[in-house]
Amino acid sequence: MKAKIGILGLGSMGKIIAKDLAETFNGKIIYLARDVNSIKELAKKNNAETRYADVSKPKTLVKAFKDIDVVIHAVHHEFNLNVMKACLKSKTNYIDLGGLYHYTKKQLKLNNQFKKANLTAIIGMGASPGITNVMAKYASGFLGKIEDIEIKIGYKDFSTYNQISPLSASYSIQTILEEFSWKPAVFVNGKIKFVEPISGREEYKFPEPVGMQKPQYTIHSEIATLPYTLKAKNVSFKIAFDDEFVDKIKMLKEMGFVSDEIIEVGENKFNAKDVSLEILKKLPKTIPEKINQYEIIRVIVSNKNKKIIMDAKIFGEEIDKDTGVPPSIISQMIANGKITSKGVFPPESIIPEEYFFRELAKRRIYIYKNNNRIN
Amino acid sequence: MKFDFVVLGATGEEGNIASKDLLESEYSVLLCGRNKSRVKNLLEYKKAKFAYVDLNDIKKTASILKSSGAKIAVNCAELKMNLNAMKSCLISGLHYLDLGGLQEMTIQQYKLDKDFKKKKLTALLGCGSTPGISNVMASYAVDKLDSVEHIEVGFAWDSNIKKFILPYSIESIAHELTTDPIILDNGKFKKAKACAFEGELKFKGVEKQNTYCIVHSEVFTFKKYFGKKGLKFVHYKAGFPEHSFRGLDIIIKLGFGSKEPIKINEINLRPIDFTREVLKKIPRPKNYRETEDVWIKAYGEKKGKPKKIEMDCVVKTLKGWEKFGSNINTGMSISIMAQMLNKNLIKKTGITAPEEAVPPTPFFKELKKRRMKIYEDNKKIN
Repeated sequence: MKAKIGILGLGSMGKIIAKDLAETFNGKIIYLARDVNSIKELAKKNNAETRYADVSKPKTLVKAFKDIDVVIHAVHHEFNLNVMKACLKSKTNYIDLGGLYHYTKKQLKLNNQFKKANLTAIIGMGASPGITNVMAKYASGFLGKIEDIEIKIGYKDFSTYNQISPLSASYSIQTILEEFSWKPAVFVNGKIKFVEPISGREEYKFPEPVGMQKPQYTIHSEIATLPYTLKAKNVSFKIAFDDEFVDKIKMLKEMGFVSDEIIEVGENKFNAKDVSLEILKKLPKTIPEKINQYEIIRVIVSNKNKKIIMDAKIFGEEIDKDTGVPPSIISQMIANGKITSKGVFPPESIIPEEYFFRELAKRRIYIYKNNNRIN
Repeated sequence: MKFDFVVLGATGEEGNIASKDLLESEYSVLLCGRNKSRVKNLLEYKKAKFAYVDLNDIKKTASILKSSGAKIAVNCAELKMNLNAMKSCLISGLHYLDLGGLQEMTIQQYKLDKDFKKKKLTALLGCGSTPGISNVMASYAVDKLDSVEHIEVGFAWDSNIKKFILPYSIESIAHELTTDPIILDNGKFKKAKACAFEGELKFKGVEKQNTYCIVHSEVFTFKKYFGKKGLKFVHYKAGFPEHSFRGLDIIIKLGFGSKEPIKINEINLRPIDFTREVLKKIPRPKNYRETEDVWIKAYGEKKGKPKKIEMDCVVKTLKGWEKFGSNINTGMSISIMAQMLNKNLIKKTGITAPEEAVPPTPFFKELKKRRMKIYEDNKKIN
């Protein structure tokens, strides 16, 4: 019988996962969505089955997951726990794209339940978290005792566009609003410290053509796992956004649009951030003419004697691909029996690095160790 | 209780200022609006009372106006309500003043001229700072010229602490920054690009400021009243400090000024209504002070020679009125004009504007009492 992989949520990330699975997976693919009609055409094109599933209604998930081997959760991270619990009931293995530190912590607590149910859950299996964690693990193999792990992400866009959104973002605007308003976690001298959002923004030179960027501390799930799995003393995560983008989000934040404050309009009450998100979702979309983006995901792992710089580079393509491709690769490894450990795992604890890197290379995502390509 | 004045939209910021100014001048005021809690401060005055008024209901508004016993209605509600407020005044027989209707609404309002004349009522449009003070300064300057060819008009403001504070009604700002304005160009009305950059200018008390061409009613009324003196060009220039303009520009470009309802939990919500409530919550920092310059420059001829007259009205945050910043020039100006109408210093009936109906000297005197200084070619004249 053919293995079955389900994609829950066919938004922009779900669609990238769908494309990769359609191109590389020999089993059955099932699209799980709230609005089944909206994905019918895509399903027909990719020879996938469609099923109704609503992340806010756990019962619909349990029913929809029946007989699926692995579900990739590509809806927003606030639903991670709901979906994992549904997987426990339906006996389905689970993968997601990250839990923005706080959700990750809660998800790790389901380890025993997944183990007991003889299931695998791999959490944070996109680009970052995901490729970052695996690169950190790979580098740690050359170092012995680790002192520091620094993660920095930068990108440059040379694409041409037919239309540019007034708030063009490379990933979910909801996640970005949270990243800009939640205090980032930084692991310093063996302790978790929360710093101010958008702080630590300073110039950093990535290899060309990405070049000079200004990465800033951001809440991310790598900090919830790497200090403990790789026993590092200091772990930080920084991502760069362009000045104009940061300026816009900062302004919305300062004005109170990104807060959880209750706003009364007439007789009705609204959560400020929820309304702002809906307003931003209505903005005209960016319509590319020719995509030509460059991203470098850098992980620097070091101790007193040695430093290893790992880079994942995706050049001249749509950089979102690096988040959508890893869950496709890993779901196939679970479905095909290449990953068999049971429980809840961050990527660095379960992914065979070299196999994963080879699969990334097939998709033109190249891994470098100290500037030398290794995949 | 019979009232001297009715203030429509007393619950908004300008309505609050106008009402407070009238009450401080010992008049009795019926405060009208939809949210009583927003006039709590004013109800401490003995001569103030609140009445629930929804301007969407013209007949009901007219009946409240009539039973108030007042002769004058001061309309400080959002400009989209101007026509309804005027119609209520026509039914109830009250004189009418408002804060302006930008261009489209102003043109609509002038169509009621005959109706107001027939009832021997005055409807004085655009009685705030600009339009309002700017129009009276323009009439003062134009009166000194034999002919006028070009008038530049506008405002510029700044604050000592560079923090974003909503400068005035977000409805007006969203309209002003997104609507293609009409300019008077060589005697003809012409459409310009919304919010086009007009360069950096220096202003009295405010220093350098970037200016932008925005939609405003002065372009229309100046042509109407000064056209016979040869007026061919009118440009309106709004000056915002960088920290304020950047914020306004961002929220408008990101859709927060939209009037198109969106669905939130099955409730239809206009983003602009949400935005207004969010921005109102931004507190003014301690010791926050504003300065505003409302200005006009009139270019013409006197005795066959070219002559330029510059007028400025400078206002600073006033003690006892701190929470309103420099916006006092709008609410206080309409209060002064309403009091002048009450004292018969404004006699014109039908639809009129401050440049036609308001005598400059007594008006400037009243501004001085409220610490607003008028300058003619940099010399203080009030």
